[in-house]
Amino acid sequence: MTGVLELESVTKRFGGVAALTDVSFSVGEGEILGLIGPNGAGKTTLLNCISGVYRLDAGKISLQGRRIDGLPPHQVARLGIGRTFQVVKPFASMTVRENAAVGALFGSAQAHMAPKAAFAWADEVLEMVGLAPKARLTVGSLTIPDRKRLEVARALATKPRLLLLDEVMAGLNPVEVDEALEMVRRVHAGGITIVLIEHVMRVVVGVCDRVIVLHMGQFLAEGTPDEVLQDRRVVEAYLGEKYAARRHG
Amino acid sequence: MARPAFSTQPSRAGRRLRRAILVAFLVVVAVVLVLPLTLTQQAADANLDPTTLGIDFAMNKSIVRTETTIAMFVALAAAWNLIGGLTGYAAFGNVAFFGLGAYTVGYLTDKLHLSFALALPLAPVVAAAFAGLIGLPLLRLRGHYFAIATLGTGIAVGEVIKNLDVFGGATGLFPPILRHADALFFYLMAANAGLAVLVTWLVLRSRFGYGLIAIRENEEAASVLGVNTTAYKVGAFALAAALTGLAGGIFAQWASFIDQESVFPIQYNVEMILMAIIGGAGTLFGPVAGAIVLEWLILELAGGGASAVYAQIGLGLLLAVTVIFVPRGVVDFFGGSSRLTLGYLRRTLRETSV
Amino acid sequence: MSLFVQQLVLGLMLGGVYVAVAIGFSLVWGILNIVNLAHGALVVVGMYATWFLFTHAGLDPFLTLPLDALILFAVGYFLQRVLINRVIRAPLFFTLLLTFGINLVLINLFLLWFKADFRSVTPSYAGTGLSLGAVTVPYIRLAALVIALVQAGLVGLFMNRSRTGFAVQAVGADKDAAQLVGIDLRHVYALTFAVGAACAGVAGGLLSTIQAISPTAGEPYTLQAFVVVILGGLGRVSATVVGGLLFGLIEVLAQSQVPGLGAGWSNAIAFAVLVLVLVLRPQGLMGRLA
Repeated sequence: MTGVLELESVTKRFGGVAALTDVSFSVGEGEILGLIGPNGAGKTTLLNCISGVYRLDAGKISLQGRRIDGLPPHQVARLGIGRTFQVVKPFASMTVRENAAVGALFGSAQAHMAPKAAFAWADEVLEMVGLAPKARLTVGSLTIPDRKRLEVARALATKPRLLLLDEVMAGLNPVEVDEALEMVRRVHAGGITIVLIEHVMRVVVGVCDRVIVLHMGQFLAEGTPDEVLQDRRVVEAYLGEKYAARRHG
Repeated sequence: MARPAFSTQPSRAGRRLRRAILVAFLVVVAVVLVLPLTLTQQAADANLDPTTLGIDFAMNKSIVRTETTIAMFVALAAAWNLIGGLTGYAAFGNVAFFGLGAYTVGYLTDKLHLSFALALPLAPVVAAAFAGLIGLPLLRLRGHYFAIATLGTGIAVGEVIKNLDVFGGATGLFPPILRHADALFFYLMAANAGLAVLVTWLVLRSRFGYGLIAIRENEEAASVLGVNTTAYKVGAFALAAALTGLAGGIFAQWASFIDQESVFPIQYNVEMILMAIIGGAGTLFGPVAGAIVLEWLILELAGGGASAVYAQIGLGLLLAVTVIFVPRGVVDFFGGSSRLTLGYLRRTLRETSV
Repeated sequence: MSLFVQQLVLGLMLGGVYVAVAIGFSLVWGILNIVNLAHGALVVVGMYATWFLFTHAGLDPFLTLPLDALILFAVGYFLQRVLINRVIRAPLFFTLLLTFGINLVLINLFLLWFKADFRSVTPSYAGTGLSLGAVTVPYIRLAALVIALVQAGLVGLFMNRSRTGFAVQAVGADKDAAQLVGIDLRHVYALTFAVGAACAGVAGGLLSTIQAISPTAGEPYTLQAFVVVILGGLGRVSATVVGGLLFGLIEVLAQSQVPGLGAGWSNAIAFAVLVLVLVLRPQGLMGRLA
């Protein structure tokens, strides 16, 4: 399978600590790929490597056959990778609409619109994520789930072909998670490939075609959500060896 | 739900007040712009012989001088606003660009005997080129590091120039005096101030402006959304430098004598910031209002001689009071939800203190 | 060769001055996250205090140092408690502006009280020195170096051995957590600034025997203290000592060994060092990666 995104032996160290070691996988066109693993597994680091926030120490990342590792973040965005931040990073003094418009003003080569078109597209995107009624508010008055939606809206406004979602469901209550799931499905139906980091297993099982498990910065397992969650190594990584031994024992 | 910090819907009374202020402002602008013409007229009537001119002339001359100085600071504050207010980088060394612009004109007219008209366009070019050069390393820094590194730039550039004999060394440079040109200098300074405001207006409406504000609010988020942060920051810095350098270039010819002390005063760095902040950093007219009020105050208070010391003390106290009580700028009161009440002062005080 | 050794010695001595000046600056920056633009003016307060006690009370300048420290401790506590604490949570350049304002007021008060005249403190042993072959070590500068190092040691002890020092460190590390365990932030902030100011006072006392005293004599030292802290790395007393000594050496060697550079270039040299360090090794020589 030739993927939209290919990672080959990606390695990232901070000082002496290896955050990612030799991670390789590919993301297929139109796929929703889940990226899971216990805290500290290197999931967010991996996203930062893909989006150009970090430089790799070794390995290759290509988007549709083109090397993107070593490019600065804005060029990665230009090539069509959008992302959200786990800890939301809104433009606080701007309105919701302006936040989304920044994504459309810049973003991928397909976005990069003139201001008028950018605001029109921002309105469409806000409609898509359910923030349209709050378009004129400043970010300060948004609730946490709305701020997460805004992260997604801003990334969507860049017209990405690949969207990286970093725990957009964390901290949401079950109803909000359902809404967010619906939103992810809508976005996906629009033809966007998605990689999502998630701790909420219901989300992973609910939308992901395939799951990759990282553990301590290394590739641990891969498969459909059901396969992966049955995998003894994965259970051990999450819950410790004793629990796994008892369960499989 | 909490009220948004910056509402964009002023009350009806607020709108009426703003319209009244705008009209009054336009009238004042008209008077200010026309006054220097009378000066030229008076000089012409006297057949360019200053000895036959009376008290009126001297009086008008001093008013025009004040106006020119104020226009200069409007340009400096508005230029600072581009990098400090819009982009959020606390530049503390813009005086380097002022000095470079001044020395460009000074050197070209004094040493190379170029005409002022030919020399002036080079002032913003030199300043912007220098900003681009130092911007690349310095704009990688954040917060205090950027602030003090730029402060150092302002001091160091002045010192280097003072130590180079080609630039007149400690003696300074003497652009040939242009007689009866008070009106000309006023209009040049005012045009530069207008240019600075126009540039800000255009920037605020453009992709460039949204990119700068995005950088100010969250640089990492801006970069993953596709903002070329390095290019944008250096661009804003160079733009600010060009406007500041142009002001310096005009100043050099106006003063017809420049040296390190007169065109690299560290204090300008802080005055232009204070003006922008008092008026409202990041807004279009905030820095203009701040510059007019503050520079007028400084000129009134200073009046030359011993009272200069008191003026400086006053300025220092004003700085303290401003940053302690009005961190969001006075324009905030006119532009939006907050009104200048005791409650507002108490609230901002509580927000920022321990 | 002996000329070179002499330059090295002078560089180290100058470095001692920089250590003395930068210790307090570094403490305030590291703990309170305030770049104190009034630091130079506080140094000048120490200069005038020593000058006053030397000229009017006949005290030996080195004996006035504890008094300088006391006076500046009080001034510093007042400034932080009454003024700077009010903007400590505002965006950072508000503290820059406020300390610049304090600097402006102080300098102009000096101008009012002492005029722009140059004053000096010249004890009987001024100008004498220890001769080691062809190399001379001026006593006053040697004493200044030793006192600077002792001062750095005392600040280090205070920070790492005393209860108050731990409280200060806790505040520097995480002010909210520190507040939760019962530390009075307002007091600890004021105390930290006061200790920083006291260090500036001692530095001023030392400098009064070395250079002419005038209202603006402290101006260069704010930038230089900043460069020293950047050079050594923020957050450790030992880093400031290394940064200060090294900066003194760099300045003296650059001025004596590089053709075309002279005494008028010290700010430019400081700035060049600053930019080089910030670009090549932003965490400073002894700093850890963030």
